[in-house]
Amino acid sequence: MTLTPKNIYMIIVLAGTILLIGDHLTSPALTAVGSPSELGNACAPCGAPCIDTDTK
Amino acid sequence: MSETLSPPASPAHTSAGRAFEASSFIFFALIALSLAGLVWLDTGWRGIVLFGLGGILGAVFLSFQYGFASVWRRALVGGEVMGLAAHFLLIGLCAIVFIPASLWGLNAVGTVAPVSVSLFIGAFMFGIGMQLANGCGSGVLFSFGGGSGRMVIALPFFILGSLLGSFLLPTALEWGSAGPIAIAGSLAELPKTALNLALIGGAGIGFYLLGRRRRQHLPAALIIASIVIAVLCWAVFALSGHPWGVTFGFTLWGAKIAQDLGVPVESFTFWQWSGPARSLQHSLLSDTSSLMNIGMVLGAGILASISGHLTRQNWPSGRQLVAAVLGGLLMGIGARLSFGCNIGAFLGGIASGSLHGWVWFVLAMAGSFAGIQLRPKFGLSK
Repeated sequence: MTLTPKNIYMIIVLAGTILLIGDHLTSPALTAVGSPSELGNACAPCGAPCIDTDTK
Repeated sequence: MSETLSPPASPAHTSAGRAFEASSFIFFALIALSLAGLVWLDTGWRGIVLFGLGGILGAVFLSFQYGFASVWRRALVGGEVMGLAAHFLLIGLCAIVFIPASLWGLNAVGTVAPVSVSLFIGAFMFGIGMQLANGCGSGVLFSFGGGSGRMVIALPFFILGSLLGSFLLPTALEWGSAGPIAIAGSLAELPKTALNLALIGGAGIGFYLLGRRRRQHLPAALIIASIVIAVLCWAVFALSGHPWGVTFGFTLWGAKIAQDLGVPVESFTFWQWSGPARSLQHSLLSDTSSLMNIGMVLGAGILASISGHLTRQNWPSGRQLVAAVLGGLLMGIGARLSFGCNIGAFLGGIASGSLHGWVWFVLAMAGSFAGIQLRPKFGLSK
């Protein structure tokens, strides 16, 4: 297989997928998908803290 | 609307091109099915639907070429403001559901982030970055999925910048903040929604009337795209419990990779806050933003495979790739300091009635103006 930009792109996507599956298999999984804002101390799903209350 | 993808070229439908399309379709479909299986096993139907919504958003953004960077550039350079009117149409439609969520019976809340010094700096940086990289948070994702060589470079640096931004944010927040401010936050749901819709409608109608005065036309495709994306955003909001966000997923990807390389990410303040700490400890497929980002790349990739987009991609010049590196870094750091990108801060913030969304819009627009002045240095048109 020649290393054209298209093939390099596919290799990058494949490498990302392998890393992702590796992370999934080695990390504890949750039974519900979620985001930082659901834990109470973040005001936004990006993890922005409610700094007028508590940031820790 | 976006210039992140190359125009169609004839070699796409040679026999080699068709073979590449078929093999890439199978490649993306197999990845999507494998990941969908893992998501189903752990997070059930909710995870699968959010993953699917990410995929549909990726395909919709790619097919309509719905972007922010090029629209803002056209508004600032050529005075073409109809694209901005379409953006405010999208935001207004989202606000109808986001602000009075409880009245719709939804167990969901909007994005109300702090109005801080870091917001001003971060949004300005993001604006510069999105003009250098030729795409914003969603634009980088769907264009990456569509095989854009520029975004193959911009995305890793967006991830790196986002990680660096997470290290900087706790310090940056000490530079000053007025805290999260909801517009008309003391009012009941209906008057609060009405006031915010008046502001959003005022901006949208203002841009529309300005465009009409300049003899510009609002394309039907742009209106349809805004409505379709708004419906998808409603679904994400109802299912995930918050507005759609993109960049936290990038930050998490960067943190996970850095951890694998031996960086003690968990010792940094941002990653000790309970929300990010929880995300860092668990699978990337357990985080809504990360899960939807992956879906968006795959959705755009599958559509690009069957539509010939992948075979038409060209590799940008060296100077343009340098711009992609800088743009990715600036967007990454900027997104973390300013609590999101065009999706999480501009769309999600304003549609949630948060003042930070409006501040983000003004500062990112100013940053875009600065970024446009830098584009010719990297061989990019203004």
